[in-house]
Amino acid sequence: MGRKASLGGYAGQHLYVDMTKEQCKAVPIDRQFAITYLGGQGFASRILYDKVGPQTDPLSPENVLIWATGPFTGTLWPQASRYVVAAKSPLTGIFGEAHAAGHWGPELKFAGFDTIIITGRAKRPLYLFVDNGTAKLLDAKDLWGHNTNETEEMIKESHYDPSLRVSCIGQAGENLVRFAAIINDYDRAAARSGIGAVAGSKHLKAVAVRGSQDISVAKPDRYLEVIEELHKKMLDSPFTASRAQYGTTNLVELMQEIGRLPSYNMRSGVFAEYQKISGEAIKNHYLVKPRADYACLQRCGRYTLVRTGPYAYCGGSPEYESQSALGSRCGNDNLESILYGHHLSNLYGLDTISTGSTISWAMEAWEEGLITAEDTGGIDLEWGNHESIIKLIHMIAHRKGFGDILAEGSYRAAQRIGRGTEKFVMHCKKQEIAGQEPRAQKSMGLATATAARGADHLYAFPVLDEVGFDEEIGIRYGQEYLPEMGDRLNPKFKGIMVKENEDFCAVVESLGVCKYGTLIPPVLFYEDIVTTFEVTVGLHLTEVQFRQIGERIVNLNRGFNVREGIRRKDDSLPRRLTHIPAPEGPSKGQVVELDQMLDEYYEQRGWQLETGLPKIQTLHRLGLDDVIEDLRKQKIKLPQ
Amino acid sequence: MRRFLYADPTVCVGCRICEAICSFHWEKTLNPKKARNRVRRVDPGLDVVVACRNCDQAWCVEACPEEALRRNRQGIIIVDAKKCRGCGACVEACPFGAIFLHPETQKAIKCVACGFCTKYCPVNTLRILTEEELAVLKQQKVIQHECANLLDELRVEGETKERES
Repeated sequence: MGRKASLGGYAGQHLYVDMTKEQCKAVPIDRQFAITYLGGQGFASRILYDKVGPQTDPLSPENVLIWATGPFTGTLWPQASRYVVAAKSPLTGIFGEAHAAGHWGPELKFAGFDTIIITGRAKRPLYLFVDNGTAKLLDAKDLWGHNTNETEEMIKESHYDPSLRVSCIGQAGENLVRFAAIINDYDRAAARSGIGAVAGSKHLKAVAVRGSQDISVAKPDRYLEVIEELHKKMLDSPFTASRAQYGTTNLVELMQEIGRLPSYNMRSGVFAEYQKISGEAIKNHYLVKPRADYACLQRCGRYTLVRTGPYAYCGGSPEYESQSALGSRCGNDNLESILYGHHLSNLYGLDTISTGSTISWAMEAWEEGLITAEDTGGIDLEWGNHESIIKLIHMIAHRKGFGDILAEGSYRAAQRIGRGTEKFVMHCKKQEIAGQEPRAQKSMGLATATAARGADHLYAFPVLDEVGFDEEIGIRYGQEYLPEMGDRLNPKFKGIMVKENEDFCAVVESLGVCKYGTLIPPVLFYEDIVTTFEVTVGLHLTEVQFRQIGERIVNLNRGFNVREGIRRKDDSLPRRLTHIPAPEGPSKGQVVELDQMLDEYYEQRGWQLETGLPKIQTLHRLGLDDVIEDLRKQKIKLPQ
Repeated sequence: MRRFLYADPTVCVGCRICEAICSFHWEKTLNPKKARNRVRRVDPGLDVVVACRNCDQAWCVEACPEEALRRNRQGIIIVDAKKCRGCGACVEACPFGAIFLHPETQKAIKCVACGFCTKYCPVNTLRILTEEELAVLKQQKVIQHECANLLDELRVEGETKERES
């Protein structure tokens, strides 16, 4: 195994795993590579760009699946638990990534690796065991067919070690459901982009990790002082107390208040029965206790318990996205079914957002008479039929009956069924839109349209205009953009906001830390990163350099997507959101003024207005000359 | 009085900041396997901080063939790293799994109740206490849980009387 890099923070090694040849190899991480792409999302983006081209079918052995942590993963930065899994997405056919917290990411670094890069396809089911600087592929015949929790338990038992950490797929990933997730630590989900199906296609059931190696700190004399300051800031934020109490579950109430809680397949942004599925309801009847991931001060994770009935379970609680996807989105006010549906999705390894969203598409088509009992095999798709929702989750994971069609995702399902059901698909670039009704917050509409992995709220995660963070907006973006930027219904300056946020989010996800604490509450920002990076890694990068790294990663993602044929026409939203005014609630009458915001966004990005192609000078400025060259070879003519 | 590190498992959220802080305090690095305390999650819902309890009848001390373990004047059991040969007899002897071998030196390491980690606990449940103090804490908790309704009734009664007078 290779020699370690001298930088603090990093484990210093990539782990290359060839599934076809069943071989593992450690490769030292190049210092320049680390400084240019940081880690996490940045590493994954670069590796994916270099190794996976437009000719690659996402479910073929040629696709590459990458787990990547960042230099802050496993350190004492508040919420330093994150890792990314990336591959070309079987759902969107473009750049795909998903992120998760838990304890798996830190443990990978304690095991001696920053990244795992999986290529090829095994002839038989295997799992990867990374054990303190070593790695080997082991037989997973007995694990295949088991859900994520069983898989994790079985691996722990077979190594006599309940403290090792497991990241794995359930039946959904095995059955190549196009929105299958990868689950670690029982219920932490790297859910989006269908990343679990890529693991399934490679016959990789799980990655188990453990180790006792250091994450070294470059400047130990100053480290604790810096960390103490960050922790204090975090704990002093009034948001932390609320997070501890509700996690994200009470966003149901907050979103309802501004008309931003999608209901009935995004026809509306309010849900009359919202109180029944609210954070308050979960806290009062089902909450066991909050729970933190590694080095997390926010503790938005939690345990819930349903004592009796068909939906009895004990385990991870849904967060806002699941409440909205399996609840209001489907007109479902049965909270126990939402809790259980979320749990079931974790067991099977399904993305709850795409699951709920795809079911709600089918429900609307049912109401319109475009899908009938003949299609569904007799399952009733009336709005709010929670028994049917649960039944469909089982059927999707196993690709049984109507579930086989839904397992393709709402976009492909509608293509297959036709009959005008296409217009009810709430997607961008074939991925289902998250629970963020954009007519009630314009920046979220733009963010959804521009995100590299298709519809996504987290790629830019614009949240400061949601509810009165004007002071922070002034600090982060500039006083000159107030009051318009702080007005969630005003499209003005949202291009600037989304661009800045995408860059910042790329830095955050590349460092391996959480968007809570950095994006919301807006406590930690570039200056904290500069200081912490210096004492942890031992290099002084300036704020300007970090901003440039973020911008570089976003442009690299765009380069990947441009190579796949993505242009301005694809940075789009369903007609419902851009042309049909919100029918009710606090944002009644609103539409998303997407074109206007896109113009401003492309302008900010240095991309061509008409096509959305990055300009040559933009890529050149970011040191991406090789991308310019590659796209030229692909016969894509970039504008000057 | 024996002192030891304790966290209420129903309050502890399992962030493991205390592990990282401990390894940094003693070794100037981040490595949970070098921590003198360990956080074990019993899914679902309980997080238990495991640390040496400095037992009165300390089996680890009795088990050590090198006499590398002894109790100091404060009642804390201390490892003499010069004497320790890393045989692991103490690990086998400890009923709590609260003594470990250092992953590099292979010498025994354990919590000495220094309390450095406690001030970093974000939910403020980590503390150094004695058995007596732990008992009082638990009594308090039981009273709060079991008698919450009774207290409410008393309060209501009291308020009613106040109003009437």
